[in-house]
Amino acid sequence: MDTLFRLVSLQSDQSLNSSRTSSSSRSSRQNLYQQEDEECFNIFMDDEDFSSSSSKHYNPYPHHQLHHHQQHHTASNTPTPTTTTTTGSATPTHQHVYDQSADQFSYSPARDVTLEFAASLSGQNSRWASDILLETAKAIADRNSTRVQQLMWMLNELGSLYGDIDQKLASYFLQALFSRMMDSGERTYRTLISASEKNCSFDSTRKMVLKFQEVSPWTMFGHVACNGAIIEALEGESKLHIIDISNTFCTQWPTLLEAIATRSDETPHLRITTILVSKSGGANGGAAGVPKVMKEIGSRMEKFARLMGVPFKFNVIHHAGDLSELSLAELDIKEDEALAINCVGALHSVATVGNRRDLLISILRRMQPRIVTVVEEEADLDIGVDGLEFVRGFQESLRWFRVYFEALDESFPKTSNERLMLERAAGCAIVDLVACPQAESVERRETAARWSHRLQGGGFRPVSFNEEVSDDVRALLRRYKDGWSMIQGSDSTGIFLSWKDQPVVWASAWKP
Amino acid sequence: MVQIEKSASQASGESRFLFSDNHVKSEQSVEPTLPVKKKRNLPGMPDPDAEVIALSPKTLMATNRFVCEICNKGFQRDQNLQLHRRGHNLPWKLRQRTNKEVRKRVYLCPEPACIHHDPSRALGDLTGIKKHFCRKHGEKKFKCERCSKKYAVRSDWKAHMKTCGTREYRCDCGTLFSRRDSFITHRAFCDALAQETALSQPLAITSPGGVMKLQVVAPLVAAVVSSPPPPPLTPSTGMWSPVLSIQSSELPENHIPQLPPPPGAAAPFPGAPTVTASNSSTSSGNVPGNGGVLASIFNVSTSAEHPHTAQPPVASYSTMLCTMTGPDQHVIDPMSLSLSSTLYLSSGSSSLLYPAALGHPHRHYTPTPQPALSATALLQKAAQMGATSSNSSFLHGLGLSMIPPPDPQDSRNSAIAPSHWSNTTHVKLENNSVASGLGLGLPSSNSPASFNELMMNSSSLFGNKPATLDFLGLGMGAGETSAGGFSAFLSSITDGLDMTTSNSFAGVGSTMDTWDYPSDRKPSML
Repeated sequence: MDTLFRLVSLQSDQSLNSSRTSSSSRSSRQNLYQQEDEECFNIFMDDEDFSSSSSKHYNPYPHHQLHHHQQHHTASNTPTPTTTTTTGSATPTHQHVYDQSADQFSYSPARDVTLEFAASLSGQNSRWASDILLETAKAIADRNSTRVQQLMWMLNELGSLYGDIDQKLASYFLQALFSRMMDSGERTYRTLISASEKNCSFDSTRKMVLKFQEVSPWTMFGHVACNGAIIEALEGESKLHIIDISNTFCTQWPTLLEAIATRSDETPHLRITTILVSKSGGANGGAAGVPKVMKEIGSRMEKFARLMGVPFKFNVIHHAGDLSELSLAELDIKEDEALAINCVGALHSVATVGNRRDLLISILRRMQPRIVTVVEEEADLDIGVDGLEFVRGFQESLRWFRVYFEALDESFPKTSNERLMLERAAGCAIVDLVACPQAESVERRETAARWSHRLQGGGFRPVSFNEEVSDDVRALLRRYKDGWSMIQGSDSTGIFLSWKDQPVVWASAWKP
Repeated sequence: MVQIEKSASQASGESRFLFSDNHVKSEQSVEPTLPVKKKRNLPGMPDPDAEVIALSPKTLMATNRFVCEICNKGFQRDQNLQLHRRGHNLPWKLRQRTNKEVRKRVYLCPEPACIHHDPSRALGDLTGIKKHFCRKHGEKKFKCERCSKKYAVRSDWKAHMKTCGTREYRCDCGTLFSRRDSFITHRAFCDALAQETALSQPLAITSPGGVMKLQVVAPLVAAVVSSPPPPPLTPSTGMWSPVLSIQSSELPENHIPQLPPPPGAAAPFPGAPTVTASNSSTSSGNVPGNGGVLASIFNVSTSAEHPHTAQPPVASYSTMLCTMTGPDQHVIDPMSLSLSSTLYLSSGSSSLLYPAALGHPHRHYTPTPQPALSATALLQKAAQMGATSSNSSFLHGLGLSMIPPPDPQDSRNSAIAPSHWSNTTHVKLENNSVASGLGLGLPSSNSPASFNELMMNSSSLFGNKPATLDFLGLGMGAGETSAGGFSAFLSSITDGLDMTTSNSFAGVGSTMDTWDYPSDRKPSML
């Protein structure tokens, strides 16, 4: 890494430290982030009237000016020219020429890259963020730090957490790429998580989850499908036990409770065991937020069950470490209870290293459930460590999060705290994917085909959702804005929620 | 009947859930509810003299049993065929309406497992038994394209189609929902539920049109609040029965959870009211059908809009209180009883009840803002008042309150108390969760004061202080629907207590009926 990035690294370390020590909220963390970037680049910008405001219609002209002006200053300020032009292959030739003429100074921010993306930036259906970010990823893979710097400088200029989708993507992915460059992915991730957990209350969580459900079928889709499958599979049983490994804060259960309460036969006893996974590495210090929230949720579930007249027990199991290390003994599985396992976003929270995912599936199999319901987001986000694999995974992440952000954008009003929270969570996931080691990652989604393969390999067979469930799902989707639809999976392996013809969520049911 | 059903379901269709703040309005709009159109026997409580008719499912479902030999047009009723024959200039014969001489007919449900398969539970109406059979035991052939809900009876489906999606659900917190599942999820997470501050669950419903049918509302409320434990409702016969029978039979949009006939209630006889009581109590923790009982309350209450009918129950309530307490009785006993009943009522209709009381000129009852007690606290308090119990249950409290030997001065009470008490004991034994279900079924923050008021003043209830009067006044809501319901309910308790000497099965009948009618569909707020 060259001097410039060492400087930047120093800066970022400081700010990261300060944000860790201070009880910074998530938003102040964002501010710090903004500041730190400004500071970083101010080193080069000098006293130039620097504005980090980024306009959608980017006008390269001021930057052109700025570039010239800045050059003189910075050239004298940083006398160590970095000769990273060895990575020439990936670099457009005109840049080479420019670099030479610029007195060997490697950091030539705006002009050339700006020109390079001029079309992309001005285009009507521009996806400039994806274009630039992908180029950045390629440059990283090529270890072309000059170009990386140029592109990141540009991304920083253009990105904004409060702008349009491209600006948001630019901002979140830049954060992740930056962490990756600094080798500070885990630290950044922890900072983000602890910041969000400090802000996490029952109230905010509830608002976010329920609002999301109100405006988008993203999570409700899985809930309706799974509840339908669970109710069908446990029909007629008098004692039910649901092991719930999900990330939707039990919002799935009220409707199930209601459905159970209105079952034509005798109301069964229901036990729900929610497994709350905390990473072993993740210090419990700041992570008290989520358990507290779950406790509150549990008490509400109990109250609601009483209201519904369902004999009900609710347990939260705190599982530290990887989900694949789950032990059956923790779960208090009883022979006389009909067991269902509900996995919503659970499988992808298992790290891809080793055989952990298959291991988890075999654990599920050993529980001898009547049914396992699996909901996963349909993406292939197994980002490789380096090189082409990294670029490919990065590209898929770009696609995926663009779809997600677009779906959020069309569902939520322009300014919405809930949306911001969801986007920040996504930003967190992006850091996890782009900048964190695989063994620690909890966000690496796989495609339905791969999950199906794993599940079948683990001794499960797919159960197709019955007609009633499909009807319920369709009825659900009709209530939302246009663009949502349901697609049957191949080989009766589940159904997809699709948004504008892109499958985004996959729901499926499995029996041993 | 079909007509009644239609209008009722329309009303329900337009209706939406409202805050208790608004219930005064709904209260007013309640007034022009359906007049009592006709009187007949309570469904499921046939006249012992009635002719019992058992039809096979096929016959029952046959749409056109009476076929014209000329044009092959089929009719459901002989009378209609006769009228039709007149058009062909064929000989025709209409039965004269000589009600007294024509022997009443009652119909059995062909399904052997069904409660109405028992002759003592036969329904007095052919259409009624048909619909019952369809709803409860038939295939749901009619499906709403919009919401996927299915119906077995076409008229139900039609009624639903008219209103599907037009309704709104409003949580106590003020949030409006157009979708049922969102509303349910919200309810589970809403602070209004969590606070448990008081009992008057303000899920009152009012229709935008200003017309509201309580008998529809009741099941809706019941479905939303779903299964707050029902009171052992055993409305008296006499002048109540006809009204009741009609009300309870017109619950087409009745979204009460499906429920198999409670085993206890299947026992047909003089013990029946008692059985019902125990059944509903025991099931309160877990059986959705409780809604049906609530609905019954509501039905009763609807009828109370006829002032003249409302008076007797009041009397009976006071009578009951007297009989319960006796001059020397502990203050506790009737009080905890009244608590329970208030609780019951508030679960279903409190929001209607309280304003009714307030609005009435005679009412001294004025809820003063009091620190809201949590339901848990209330439960504990009740348990304390209920004396020795370790179980903090209102029902329990009720049961315990009965424990002190009835005042010998009141022979009636002493005669009855044991059986009644055994019921409550039964409750205790069978279901400990009753208590919680009871308390929590009625979560509401909107008119906590009223309940608290009751709680607070309860000790002076029998000290002839205003509170006492007020409390009784509550029951005296002659012109007020819910108040009437209250009194009706209380009267029903009296009746229940009284039942060993009375051979009325009215309460059971109505209860069963409300369980029965809606049974073909899921409780729903749509």
